[in-house]
Amino acid sequence: MRRLIRYDEDEMNRILSSEDEILPSSGFAVSVMDAVRREAAAPPPIPFPWKRALPGLVVAGLAVTLVLVAGIVAIAQLGRASTTARFSTSWSLSLSSFLPSATPPILHGGMGSAAIWVAMALLLAFVSVKLSMRMASGRG
Amino acid sequence: MSASDDQADVERVLAGDIAAFEGIVRRWQGPLINLGYRFCRDRGRAEEMAQEAFLRAYRGLGQWRKDAVFSTWLFALATNLYRSELRRIPARTVSVSLDDIAEPADARASDGGLEDEDRDLAVRRAVLALPPKYREALILFYFHEMDVASAARSLGLPEGTVKARLFRGREILRGKLTQRLAVPRLKEA
Repeated sequence: MRRLIRYDEDEMNRILSSEDEILPSSGFAVSVMDAVRREAAAPPPIPFPWKRALPGLVVAGLAVTLVLVAGIVAIAQLGRASTTARFSTSWSLSLSSFLPSATPPILHGGMGSAAIWVAMALLLAFVSVKLSMRMASGRG
Repeated sequence: MSASDDQADVERVLAGDIAAFEGIVRRWQGPLINLGYRFCRDRGRAEEMAQEAFLRAYRGLGQWRKDAVFSTWLFALATNLYRSELRRIPARTVSVSLDDIAEPADARASDGGLEDEDRDLAVRRAVLALPPKYREALILFYFHEMDVASAARSLGLPEGTVKARLFRGREILRGKLTQRLAVPRLKEA
């Protein structure tokens, strides 16, 4: 029996080098080959049809851009109008006709608060998209 | 185990002969299972992880660049998988803290020393309780028969980093083991 006073490097090397080897189960190789054959037999994943989807994606992207630009312009007009307390431009008039009588305070708060709300909405949309992509890729 | 056998089998598999993969499995099942076992000390889980490693190897055979030996590529792939698996679901033994390592039941032999078997067990448990980066370096180093270069290739790290981790890992082990296992002798003295 060896006395244990301190663990020098040789002692540690001796202990950790003398690992018992375990033998694979008898059916291990067969089970791996079954899994490999299943893998090989599985149809390849269907690639995303980029060619077909591209026109739709481009149109959707343009539409989103247009809506965003229109929204920002409308908010800018509203902000300007709020300083004079009247909607004078045709943009504002047309927008005001769509707004309910009790419009949310954001539409009367000026450019600053509107920009903050737009930024928050965009941030929320970005986070939602990233989160859903992460969950879809199985890393979530 | 011949590198040319591996290369021939890989080429056959890539040419569509799936059965040729069995040669690779039979040649490397022992090492891959044993490597997994050193990471988790659970035979069933080691086999599951080894099976997944073989499946990933099968899927990625085309990515093996023949400038490295097949076994080097396979061990790196398996090591990467085992590390991420054990980070995802830690092995029960691994979750034990270094401070929780109990002294063996028969802590002293008649001459005041530990029984060899108990002492070896305590050392292995202590390795599993190390922080992951030191534990992985030590496991790979001893798995590759104390070859730093092979351990570094499997871990995908520079040799200098592996040496530093080995040094630090051994320091932690030495401190803990000396402190805990030598206590009976010190008390006696």
